[in-house]
Amino acid sequence: MSRLTVRLLALLPAWWCASASAAEPATPAAPPHEIVVFAAASLTDAVGEIARMHEEESGRTLKISFASSSTLARQVQNGAAADIFLSADEEWMTYLDERKLVLKDSWSRPIGNQLVLIAPADRPVTVELRKGVDLAALLGDGRLATGDPAHVPVGRYAQQALDFLGAWTKIEPRLARAENVRAALALVERGEAPLGIVYATDARVAKSVKVVAKFPAESHAAIRYSFAILAGHDTPDVREAFAFLTSAAALDVFRAQGFVVP
Amino acid sequence: MSAWLTPDEWQAFRLSLEVAARSVGLSLPFAIAMAWLLARRRFLGKTLVDAAVHLPLVLPPVVVGYFLLLIFGTRGPIGAWLAEHFGLRLVFTTAGAALATAVMSFPLVVRAIRLSIENIDPHLEAAARTLGARGWDRFFTITLPLTLPGILAGVIVAFSASLGEFGAVITFVSNIPGETRTLPLALYTAIQTPDGDAAAARLAALSVGLGLAGLALSEWLARSVRKRLGP
Repeated sequence: MSRLTVRLLALLPAWWCASASAAEPATPAAPPHEIVVFAAASLTDAVGEIARMHEEESGRTLKISFASSSTLARQVQNGAAADIFLSADEEWMTYLDERKLVLKDSWSRPIGNQLVLIAPADRPVTVELRKGVDLAALLGDGRLATGDPAHVPVGRYAQQALDFLGAWTKIEPRLARAENVRAALALVERGEAPLGIVYATDARVAKSVKVVAKFPAESHAAIRYSFAILAGHDTPDVREAFAFLTSAAALDVFRAQGFVVP
Repeated sequence: MSAWLTPDEWQAFRLSLEVAARSVGLSLPFAIAMAWLLARRRFLGKTLVDAAVHLPLVLPPVVVGYFLLLIFGTRGPIGAWLAEHFGLRLVFTTAGAALATAVMSFPLVVRAIRLSIENIDPHLEAAARTLGARGWDRFFTITLPLTLPGILAGVIVAFSASLGEFGAVITFVSNIPGETRTLPLALYTAIQTPDGDAAAARLAALSVGLGLAGLALSEWLARSVRKRLGP
C-alpha cells in the first residue's frame, strides 16, 4: 500500500466524525417532519401516483417504502420510524395491533383486489380454475411464482385458493417463493416461471404478462387492504396525509388501476 | 445437532455446504489459470481483464445476480443454449446457486493464488528449465506445489464467503427450500416470518460458528504451511 493510500485511510474516521457531527444539529432544527409511508408492494404504482398528487397539492413529499407487507410489519415491530402502514392483508395489521403499534381508530379497509393466474404474454395457456384442476401439468419442468406463503400476503391468498381447488399439495413443491408480489411478477415477466399468481392490478401494469384466469372469489379470503396510522405518530400532518390516501381523488386512482373500491 | 435444528434448518445448513463446495470446485481451475495469467503473462488488455475479475468485489451482489439472470436465465443467450443442448437449468436450481456464489468468490480465490505465484522465486523455474523441464512439467512440479498455500487460503476464504452469499443468490435463483434456500436465505425468511426470532437466532449462531471454524482452519493451515516452507 502506498503512503498516500495509508494517509487517506487514516483520514477516513476523521471525515466520518466530521460529517456525523455536521449532520447532528440539522436534525432538531428541521421541524417539518417527513411523513414516512410503508406500503405493500402491490401498491407501488397507485400509491406512487397518489404521493405525487399529494406533493403537487400540499408541497409536502411522502417518503414511501414498498416491500412485502410482512417485511414492513416486521420492520415496524423492530422500531422503524414509519407513520403510516398500508398492508395488503388484515393479518399483518392485526399482528402489529396485538403489539399495540397501531392507532386503532384510524384503521380502515378502503380497497380490495382480485387474485389471478398469469403467464408470459407469448406463451399459449388456457385453463379453467375449477376444483381438481391440474396446474402442475401446465408447469412442465418450470415453477409457479408467487409470494412466499410463509409470510407474503399474496402467497397466503394463493395457498388458500390452491387448497380450495385441490391443487395445493401438488403445487407446493413447485413454487418459486418470491419476497413480494412484484418479485413474483418479475419472474413471470422474464419468462423464468411459466405461471404465476399475483393480484389483478399487478398483472395490469406488466405488459409482457397476460391473465390466464381469475381465481373464484370464494376460493380465498377477501383481499382487503388495511390502512392505518401507527401508534405514536398521530400528528396533524400525518392525519392530513392519511386522509389524502383515502380521499375521493386517491380512490379514483386506485379504481383506475383496477383495485376494487367498494 | 439435528435435535437442535428443525429439519428445514438442517436442510438449509446442508444445502449451504453443498453450494459452497460446488462453487469452489467450479471456480478453482479457472481461478488458478487466471491467477497464473495475471501473475506471469503480459498481454493486451490485461488491465481490463484484471478489472473484470475484481468486479464482483466492488459491485453490489444484486447487480451480479441480475447480470447472471440476464445471461444465464431461461431466455438469456447462454441460459437458453444450456437448456436446449444439455437440458441444464440454472434458475431456481442448486447448480445456479453454486454458479452465483462461484462468480462472487472468484476474485477472492484469484487474489490469494496470484499473490502466492508472484512470491515464487522465478529462479526456481529458471533452474528447472536449465534441467530440461518443459512448460507444463515446470508448472506441475514447481509452480503449482509452491502455490499450494495460496490455493488453500483462497479455497477456505471462498468456501466461507460462499456459505454467506445472499444478494446474488436470491436475485438469480430465488429462495426455494431444498434447492436454493441456503443459510443466509433461511435466516432472512425467518426474520420475515412472525415468531421466527428463535429460528433466526439459531441460524445466526450457526453462521457465526461456521465462520469462526473457517477462520480458525485457515489460520492453522497458514501456520503449518509457514512451518514447512519457512526457515
